[in-house]
Amino acid sequence: MLSRTANHLYWMSRYVERAEHLARLLDAHYRLSLLPRSPEVLMQGWIATLTSLGMIAHFQSQHGEADPQQAMQYLAFDRTHAGSIMSCLGAARENARAVRGTVPSEVWETLNATYLDARDFRSDAGDIGVRTFLDWVKYRSHLTRGVTVNTMLRDEAFHFASIGTFLERADATTRLLEARWRDPGGAGERLGVDASEWAVLLRALSAFEVYRKVYRESVTPLRVTELLLLNAEMPRSVHRCLYDLLGNLQAVRNSQSAETERMAGELHAQFRYGRLEEMSSVGMPQFLDRVQRRLNTLADRIGADFLVAGYSG
Amino acid sequence: MLRIRHETVYRYDEPVLQSVQSLRVTPRREHRQRTLSWQLAAPGRRSEQLDAHGNIAQLLTIDEPHQEIRIVVSGLVDVPDDGPLIVERGPIAPLAYLMATPLTGANAELTALAARCWSGSAATRTELEALAAAVCNAVKYRPGTTTVTDTAASALQRGEGVCQDQAHVFLAACRSSGVPARYVSGYLLSGDDGDIASHAWVDAWLERPGVWLGIDVTHQSTAGARHCRLAVGRDYLDAAPVRGVRRGGGRETLEVRVLVAAENSQQ
Amino acid sequence: MCAAAYDEMLDTTGGARAHCVRYFSWLRAQPAELLARKRAEADALFHRVGVTFAVYGEEAGTERLIPFDIVPRVIPTEEWQLLAAGLQQRVRALNAFLGDMYHDQDILRAGRIPSELLLCNAQYRPEMQGIDVPGGIYAHIAGIDVVRADGAFYVLEDNLRVPSGVSYMLENRKMMMRLFPELFRHQAIASVEHYPDGLLENLKSVAPQGVVDPVVMLLTPGAHNSAYFEHAFLAQQMGIELVEGQDLFVRDDFLFARTTRGPQRVDVLYRRIDDDFLDPLAFRSDSMLGVPGLLTVYRSGHVTVANAIGTGIADDKSVYPYVPEMIRFYLGEEPLIANVPTWVLRNAADREHVLAHLAELVVKEVHGAGGYGMLIGPAASAAQIEDFRRRIIANPERYIAQPTLALSTSPTFCSQGLAPRHIDLRPFVLSGREITIVPGGLTRVALREGSLVVNSSQGGGTKDTWVLES
Repeated sequence: MLSRTANHLYWMSRYVERAEHLARLLDAHYRLSLLPRSPEVLMQGWIATLTSLGMIAHFQSQHGEADPQQAMQYLAFDRTHAGSIMSCLGAARENARAVRGTVPSEVWETLNATYLDARDFRSDAGDIGVRTFLDWVKYRSHLTRGVTVNTMLRDEAFHFASIGTFLERADATTRLLEARWRDPGGAGERLGVDASEWAVLLRALSAFEVYRKVYRESVTPLRVTELLLLNAEMPRSVHRCLYDLLGNLQAVRNSQSAETERMAGELHAQFRYGRLEEMSSVGMPQFLDRVQRRLNTLADRIGADFLVAGYSG
Repeated sequence: MLRIRHETVYRYDEPVLQSVQSLRVTPRREHRQRTLSWQLAAPGRRSEQLDAHGNIAQLLTIDEPHQEIRIVVSGLVDVPDDGPLIVERGPIAPLAYLMATPLTGANAELTALAARCWSGSAATRTELEALAAAVCNAVKYRPGTTTVTDTAASALQRGEGVCQDQAHVFLAACRSSGVPARYVSGYLLSGDDGDIASHAWVDAWLERPGVWLGIDVTHQSTAGARHCRLAVGRDYLDAAPVRGVRRGGGRETLEVRVLVAAENSQQ
Repeated sequence: MCAAAYDEMLDTTGGARAHCVRYFSWLRAQPAELLARKRAEADALFHRVGVTFAVYGEEAGTERLIPFDIVPRVIPTEEWQLLAAGLQQRVRALNAFLGDMYHDQDILRAGRIPSELLLCNAQYRPEMQGIDVPGGIYAHIAGIDVVRADGAFYVLEDNLRVPSGVSYMLENRKMMMRLFPELFRHQAIASVEHYPDGLLENLKSVAPQGVVDPVVMLLTPGAHNSAYFEHAFLAQQMGIELVEGQDLFVRDDFLFARTTRGPQRVDVLYRRIDDDFLDPLAFRSDSMLGVPGLLTVYRSGHVTVANAIGTGIADDKSVYPYVPEMIRFYLGEEPLIANVPTWVLRNAADREHVLAHLAELVVKEVHGAGGYGMLIGPAASAAQIEDFRRRIIANPERYIAQPTLALSTSPTFCSQGLAPRHIDLRPFVLSGREITIVPGGLTRVALREGSLVVNSSQGGGTKDTWVLES
């Protein structure tokens, strides 16, 4: 397969996943805003989120001392920067367009329609409008994934698309957790206090029922973190993502990818066999930050081994 | 006999991921010049072929990241002093050298410049020499006054330029009045140790007797035993010693050193 | 002008011509609202699938459809056989001409075409001189525009560079079969679906010598090109890679594609990029679309480029008047399909005649395309005619002129129901080991009443083209 084609498939999936992740993140904030919290506390949550996304500096340069409303708008609809849901949907579509000869036509048509329809949502439609939009984005993301999984040949194209999905998802889950741990308004590292923020997080990830099933006890930050990092059966956990990532990497193995595969395996092993207490001995946010950096290295290596036009091994 | 050494060095601020260079730095195989020895040293992989105009061209490809490309050619070329006529017609019909290129498009001024030098329909040697003088008069030779993409028209408007500009102006003037002419890139043995060693001049088509006449526009004379011919083409872009494309690299600096010395043929 | 035009489906009394009796009686039996519904259905389907053309605005994402007419153009067997023979003959001569032009130039020496017209033509590519291309084929894919006027067929234009439109031929047929399956059950309509197979076979047959299982790739300028849909469509239908210039690189005189498993050699490049952009080291140095060094590989015979570089010298409008002469010179035959009578304005006598009759003639810019740079005398204002007169006098060699042809019409579904609209036809001729033509082509229709301009950029639409099997 052409390196460029693989690159477009990889980014197509990453952007779909990123849009969904953003929708879930914003949904969590929306739910939090319904709890009895002062605007200052809510804004602290937004700042933690924007920091974990690496977008805080840009946001503040645009909006200064902003309010939660603006943060929501910025991440959902603002097409002047690449980090909003709208921009991600557009980027996913452009990547799909570039490979429309490679993917089944339904995949392209779904992403094309998603982008075209997304433009009909109005950013000024108030809370209900935003909420509807977020639900719709999640729904379209499910639809895209369904079409992809059910129509694509299980060949390289599928593997590269999957690599994009799982890498992005692992990254997203760590960012979500990091933001929660860094948010002083959300009880942070103080265990055992009001855990409703954490329950909201679970709901946003469609994981509340899962939590109850797995733990059968009240929601605590450490347990939530454990579920989202280490549980092998939980589809959005970092452990699960790395497991799936590794399988897809093995399927596209080439003459120069051995080291990349080893690194992915090593990271996976840490989540499979590691203990949360030991992992987080450096402090939870620091640990999560480290994981993110290792994921970035992995992404760079995958780029160099398979995707960039300069590859000529 | 001419002993020649030509070194071209490109340096880049950042690593270049990949580059492809098209080189025309080997003397043409023509009756009027005999290459006794010629070496080319350059990094990367290369292949050689005759291009459409009969020039010896190398394609240089470098796949590894690099921050410098050094190309050195050197050798000994015998150019007997037997006049400025080139007997080989070349693989391309002379009429095809009537076609203006983006660099040699004519405008009213260029057409007028040519018209002043012609009497009949086919050009004579005297008329072509007169045109060379007119071009030199209209575009004064001044080093460092050009960029490679300058057109004949803009050089004429500026009123000064380097040998390449003067050649382009000459070509545009010739072609506008129906005289086929082609660009020549090569080396010049200059009498003093002046700055011209890598040089450009022209061939103009003499309908009768049907040969190319080499004219050094800059020196307002025919081209002879002091000129070693590397490449011909419709303009600079066809005949350029080095033409390249790269990915990455940032800012580029270019250093060119050319040495041309006379050597006694008895040695 | 309109009233006098020959109609492809109906005779002068308004009854169906013999080969259309069946279709026309069916058509007349269909309620108008059903046809309207079918047409809306077709539009919706084309939009969803993204069978689109024209401007791709970044923000609006506007992809326009070429309007599709649900009434087919029907060609009887005998007519098609004549057309096919004539097109084969023409393309054979054009390829022979290109081979001669880039080798010995016998036709110039024989004085059959003025040397200057060819050698001082921007479409002549000196870079091609002396290259031996596999099978002596230059125009592997030719789109020949044919019109009928006063009952007879004429070739209006040859397209030998990167002819486009074949995806519409295929999509239009797919659409018709979907909308009206019963029509195909009851009539023997020659199929066109095998075109991609034929194209792939054709491309493989011209691979460089000694290559056993050639790798063919399609080179596109990219997703923002107006014909990108067709590029992606054809690559997908042929099962070959759709590549951009950045995917390819040259090493050791061979062409390679960058793949996830390392470099992959490319033997045949079906390019949908103009000559000028193919190789920044040989042509336009500012081109980002091509592959540096491609010309070198091509000249060394290690890759076949289809269509060959430099085919423009054979389809240039200034060269067009000489195609019948090529047929006589290379094949020793008389043309089976005539050229439209053409005045070459560089010739003083022709110029004089044309300047005296501008209001009746069509004047075309030699290097214009897509119906631009054209004067249609009978439809032009006095000011437009005077403007063209000035332009012709200033640069006569840039223009040719032709009589205003009463292009044939075909019933077309318009807002007010069925009405005659002018049409042309672009069949696609494939040249490789042999010359083949899929029975059919792209029928373009000028949707505006009375208009003779069928180009999609100027209000043209398309129809399915049926060749009946006997």
